[in-house]
Amino acid sequence: MTSDVQKRLDRALNPRSVAVVGDKKAMGYMWLNCMNTFKGKVYSVQVDPNEIPGIEEMGIPNYKSLGEIPDGIDYVVCAVPRPVAPRIVADCVAKKVGAVGLFTSGFAETETADGVAAQEQITTIAREGGLLLIGPNCMGIYNRRLGVRHSTDQEAGDAGSVGFISQSGTHCINFSLVGAVHGIKCSKTVSFGNAVVLDAPDYIDYLASDAETQVIAMYIEGVKDGRRFLASLREAAKRKPVVVWKGGVTTAGWRAVYSHTASLATAPAIWDAAMRQAGVVQAESLDETIDAVKALTFAGQTTGKRMGLIAMTGGQSVVITDAFEREGLEVPLLTAASYEKLAGFFNIIGGSYRNPLDAGGTIGMGFVPGNLQKLFDILEKDENVDAVAMEVGATFIARRMRQNPAMMDQLVEVLVSHKGRSAKPFLAIAHQAHVEDVMIELRKKLLDSGVATFGSFAAAAQAFARAVGYWRFRERLD
Amino acid sequence: MPIAEVIDSARNQGRTVLTEIESKQILAEAGIPVAVAQLAKTADEAAKFAENAGFPAVLKIVSPEITHKSDIGGVKVGLDSADEVKKAFDEIVAAAKKAEPKARIEGVAVQKMAPAGTEVIVGMSKDPQFGPVLMFGLGGIFVEVLKDVAFRIVPLEARDARQMVREIKGFPVLEGIRGQPAADLAALEGLILKLSEFVEAHPEIEELDLNPVFAYADGVIAVDARIVIS
Repeated sequence: MTSDVQKRLDRALNPRSVAVVGDKKAMGYMWLNCMNTFKGKVYSVQVDPNEIPGIEEMGIPNYKSLGEIPDGIDYVVCAVPRPVAPRIVADCVAKKVGAVGLFTSGFAETETADGVAAQEQITTIAREGGLLLIGPNCMGIYNRRLGVRHSTDQEAGDAGSVGFISQSGTHCINFSLVGAVHGIKCSKTVSFGNAVVLDAPDYIDYLASDAETQVIAMYIEGVKDGRRFLASLREAAKRKPVVVWKGGVTTAGWRAVYSHTASLATAPAIWDAAMRQAGVVQAESLDETIDAVKALTFAGQTTGKRMGLIAMTGGQSVVITDAFEREGLEVPLLTAASYEKLAGFFNIIGGSYRNPLDAGGTIGMGFVPGNLQKLFDILEKDENVDAVAMEVGATFIARRMRQNPAMMDQLVEVLVSHKGRSAKPFLAIAHQAHVEDVMIELRKKLLDSGVATFGSFAAAAQAFARAVGYWRFRERLD
Repeated sequence: MPIAEVIDSARNQGRTVLTEIESKQILAEAGIPVAVAQLAKTADEAAKFAENAGFPAVLKIVSPEITHKSDIGGVKVGLDSADEVKKAFDEIVAAAKKAEPKARIEGVAVQKMAPAGTEVIVGMSKDPQFGPVLMFGLGGIFVEVLKDVAFRIVPLEARDARQMVREIKGFPVLEGIRGQPAADLAALEGLILKLSEFVEAHPEIEELDLNPVFAYADGVIAVDARIVIS
């Protein structure tokens, strides 16, 4: 991407002024409502006399055309019907706006001759006019810090650190909403739909150099230029973690092949190879994407694979070990020094401390903070351990926590303060069990305090293994 | 013969599939270790080439129309004398004529039989999205039945070659099992990287198979090769 495009994209993604073209009552003035958190100036463009009073009631100045707005416009949301779209795109060119996000759909995605022709028309106008066009058939941008949203459910006001781009509007919105529940705050997200002018590599290049963005994640169905996409991913992954969630199986055109190699080179196999080469984390669902981002954002960085595990009971000790070993992580013996210290206070009636530490009795399911702190300190000093994962077994006393919320806060406090002092990655695993409401509240409190918290051993192990894989690739250890 | 000349000559004959001899000429030119073969037009010529290259010899039919040579009796291995070579030449040509009466038979490729090593396959094909990609796998059932292969997009860097060799499930075979010596992994990775450079420099190559490549404790050699050009 040329630095000029990058500069203009930066203007659009950090707008000081936004214009919404064609919002209407039938949509509940969705777009204008999305902008009610925006810190800059909002303008409306609407010519329908039936729609204008409702807009003015919201206190938003309305104009008959973009050209009439007495202000430069950094970002335009275009929500007009398809037949009007070419005119609005041309107006955006004339107005020299930063970029336009085309919510308007009915283009090539309909697979009709009409749709394809209309798409070619707007593409030509935008290209010839040097306009940055996002979409069409997309939800456009979300900037949490500035309050530019594409869903009224999205949070706004404070800065985020995770950039997300998506061919699908739903996945883009869901990542920001579900992510927020898991403590993930987005820096910028872009739903880019049909990608006729700006394509995935443009956005990846932008997020790679965006100082606010610490982790990049994306939902991708297919790419137009695989080599350019791969080059952008590679460069981005050298600078910050990248998570790629691939949807759909690309069906490359069939052709006669003579060789073994060609007959085995299926699209999924090649995609997988490209992702490995780029050094990105692969995910297969929204949940996996969010878990990977949590591990990369909150857990702390390590290239080591040796886990120190804390579980509450014998059965959980067995399966937490299974989960981490299944993902290629190791659960080693601790040092002699650690065992000597553990022997001094560990309750071995109904417990054991080989690694995993079957510690429910010793730490009162997490409610004997002194002993829990001792376990943390021993694992912190143990040279055989690179990272610590702990089952938060609050299910056993969830009922008491429900009656006395201070108990939950006390547990959160111990884990958060450990994370604050520890130099080793730390994961908390809080299964929802039969007390979903309590555990979700606990998980949210931990995540909001920056503790990487997961809903199951398997999810934690998979996400952490992927994060370690990324750090190892970046350090050229694998 | 320089690479461009070999390709031009095939194109002038309206062919996109290069013969084994042409393929190996090109690969040898590019610095990729191959078991070089010579094209014999007569049984006597075959015997002479075999004597020069050394026994045991391998003979294979050379015909643009015949791609699965061994299926039709077009390959003879372990030939220990000039007489055996002559006899094999006649049998191969007869078998090819019988199986594919319309095929143009250019002759028979003669090469010294390489000592058996661990069989691997290295190949290149073009992906509509990502362009040229390399494949690596163990030969025989590992590739044909189990499809135990690894891919990388061209150009590869050293890490890519190292990873793809270790990515396949059959990797322990290369590390040496049942008293077999370990394969020369550095040489194998070197061949993969050379091939990456080669196909990157020659976009006219559409598909390529080195099958099999013999991996030894010390060194590797491509025993058979096939190249398809655009």
